[in-house]
Amino acid sequence: MLETTGGYWSPIVWIVAFIVAFLMAYIMWGMGEKKHAKGEQEKPFLSGQDEPSKEAVHVRAGNIYWGFTETLSGYYDFMKKIHTGIINDYVLWFLGMAAIFFLAIVLPGVIM
Amino acid sequence: MTGELFFKVVMGTIGMAIFAILLGLSFKGIDRKIAAHMQSRVGPPLRQPFWDVGKLLIKDSVVPKNAVSWLFNFAPVICLASSITLLLYIPIAGYGPLLQGHGDLILILYLLTIPALSMVAGGFASGSPYATVGAQREMVTMMSYEFPLAVAAISIAWKMSDAFKGDVFTLSFISSHPIWNNVGLLGIIGLLFLLLAVVIILPAELSKIPFDVAEAETEIAGGLLVEYSGRNLALFYLADGVKTFALSSLVVAIFFPYNISQFFALGSIPAFIIDFLFFLLKVSLVMLFAVTLVRVGVARLRITQVVSTYWIAVTLMALLGLVLLMWDSQILTIRWW
Repeated sequence: MLETTGGYWSPIVWIVAFIVAFLMAYIMWGMGEKKHAKGEQEKPFLSGQDEPSKEAVHVRAGNIYWGFTETLSGYYDFMKKIHTGIINDYVLWFLGMAAIFFLAIVLPGVIM
Repeated sequence: MTGELFFKVVMGTIGMAIFAILLGLSFKGIDRKIAAHMQSRVGPPLRQPFWDVGKLLIKDSVVPKNAVSWLFNFAPVICLASSITLLLYIPIAGYGPLLQGHGDLILILYLLTIPALSMVAGGFASGSPYATVGAQREMVTMMSYEFPLAVAAISIAWKMSDAFKGDVFTLSFISSHPIWNNVGLLGIIGLLFLLLAVVIILPAELSKIPFDVAEAETEIAGGLLVEYSGRNLALFYLADGVKTFALSSLVVAIFFPYNISQFFALGSIPAFIIDFLFFLLKVSLVMLFAVTLVRVGVARLRITQVVSTYWIAVTLMALLGLVLLMWDSQILTIRWW
């Protein structure tokens, strides 16, 4: 049993349950028709169009999260803009954030 | 693991698999019938999903030539198996989960990702551009709803820990201490926000309209399922039914864990039957409001709209629910009764 202060789970119990469920699903899968027609049917469905080369339709890793990056493009554009690669900028950000934390957290503690 | 526990896990899983598949398919039939009536159609008979599975099992199961065949074939099996294991940790009809004491709410959140990930793996293994786009969209959708779902789960567990001592992350604990009874007015409003957030997440977990961008029949011809047929599609179909039942049961266990047998002077067996029927009614109502009504009433969103819905609207809703729950006990306690 793996436990944290809040929760727990037993991996062995889950694995045993998963193996049983997997075997049941596998038996059902095995009961289905095994054969299938060869030839034309084995081509991917592309609304009747010829299949382009793999290179032409390959989704690059950078595009996998397209919907996500497109929606949050405002945030990503801002983040890209502030990541200039210039060390002076990063030090300035570091000092600025340290000042904010000081004013927001440390100073009220000292005053109180 | 003791022999007794091993026997319980094995037999329990077999029993739960049969129970979940039968109920999952029955609920699919009810869903289709009600949806049809809402659209002024007669609709298929309630047993149609059973016929569909039978028919799919005797159909050719085509594996595309350029697919990664072992992964393509295993994905539906893993999807169904993981959906079944999910149910072992969820209380059914007021009784504790079958694997009570062996996993908590956080484990359920993780298990919920396995069926979706197996569909993604199957989609990428299909070798079809449509399926690749569908798999990509499924991942993006998952990334979008996981955060508000986690906020909702943590908020409820936190509230339970504030009110009680015990295993607050276990569903058996949550369902045996109905949360509505332990909050004031602000807490009730906060819980309503959390319930709404979870109900909006449900169609995305199940790839249903308006969040079915990963399948989107009219746009990408079924997306990650486009190449699936025969027995492989049958297993995804069964997994969908099981997952629908499991998720609706999860909502019932967290938000509506009430029974009615105590209002009648009944023996243990009639009380169990009454509670079980009441549980099925609650599950049906959750499914009706979260899945059927929504999928009939609205159109499909674009993937960017799905992300903004979850990351902005639903996340804010869940966070507001969390804040109200915190305020309920720490700042302003107004008892609503």
